[in-house]
Amino acid sequence: MASSSGNDDDLTIPRAAINKMIKETLPNVRVANDARELVVNCCTEFIHLISSEANEICNKSEKKTISPEHVIQALESLGFGSYISEVKEVLQECKTVALKRRKASSRLENLGIPEEELLRQQQELFAKARQQQAELAQQEWLQMQQAAQQAQLAAATASASNQAGSSQDEEDDDDI
Amino acid sequence: MAAAAGSGTPREEEGPSGEAAAPQPQAPTSAPGARLSRLPLARVKALVKADPDVTLAGQEAIFILARAAELFVETIAKDAYCCAQQGKRKTLQRRDLDNAIEAVDEFAFLEGTLD
Repeated sequence: MASSSGNDDDLTIPRAAINKMIKETLPNVRVANDARELVVNCCTEFIHLISSEANEICNKSEKKTISPEHVIQALESLGFGSYISEVKEVLQECKTVALKRRKASSRLENLGIPEEELLRQQQELFAKARQQQAELAQQEWLQMQQAAQQAQLAAATASASNQAGSSQDEEDDDDI
Repeated sequence: MAAAAGSGTPREEEGPSGEAAAPQPQAPTSAPGARLSRLPLARVKALVKADPDVTLAGQEAIFILARAAELFVETIAKDAYCCAQQGKRKTLQRRDLDNAIEAVDEFAFLEGTLD
């Protein structure tokens, strides 16, 4: 859900994600709603804090992109060094997941329905749908034509019979 | 006379049911132990980029920042729970978080978020 309107400053981590984490950390514990709200805000602040520090470290390092190393140094310097060992595990998983994803997408190309076939099927379905729409529109058009013709006929007969009856009344001609 | 003209607009290119024809290849979901974070990474990235000083942040940096934020939430929740237990309560209240924040030096940066 990208929002192009509104401030970037109103961004927070979604409440649902926080609720889930709280639930996993403290199963069977009731948590007041305003406490949850505060956790959301604290989490957001934490991210700003670390990323700001990491950014400074990055600037000093003459690199242009914040790297994992910068984040790790930021954690250390801000007193969150105890997080570092677990955070490093993420790096390892990153590489593993990236590797698996590359393997999986190449496997998908080899097994199952190839992409061209899927595209072809999609085009077929679109074409069918278009045809059905066209036929529907055609029918409606025909019906409209018929209705219009009948109306004209009715009006013509009415005015004809009127003229035969009394030649004074010409108002009926306007009824179409 | 019924106005049939207005209702006749054909819908363009919708196909039978949108996505039925073209399944997307899915990124592998949780392999054992390989979930990266409980936090939505796009949101974490958006938060990082909201800082005007930040130019670029690498994807892996975002990943580990998300994980750190997770750890932070776990830590602060546990700390707050200790406060609740000391108060002999079973429900975590906001004041428990307040106390937890004040008790830990590293959480000083949070004092701005307390009303």
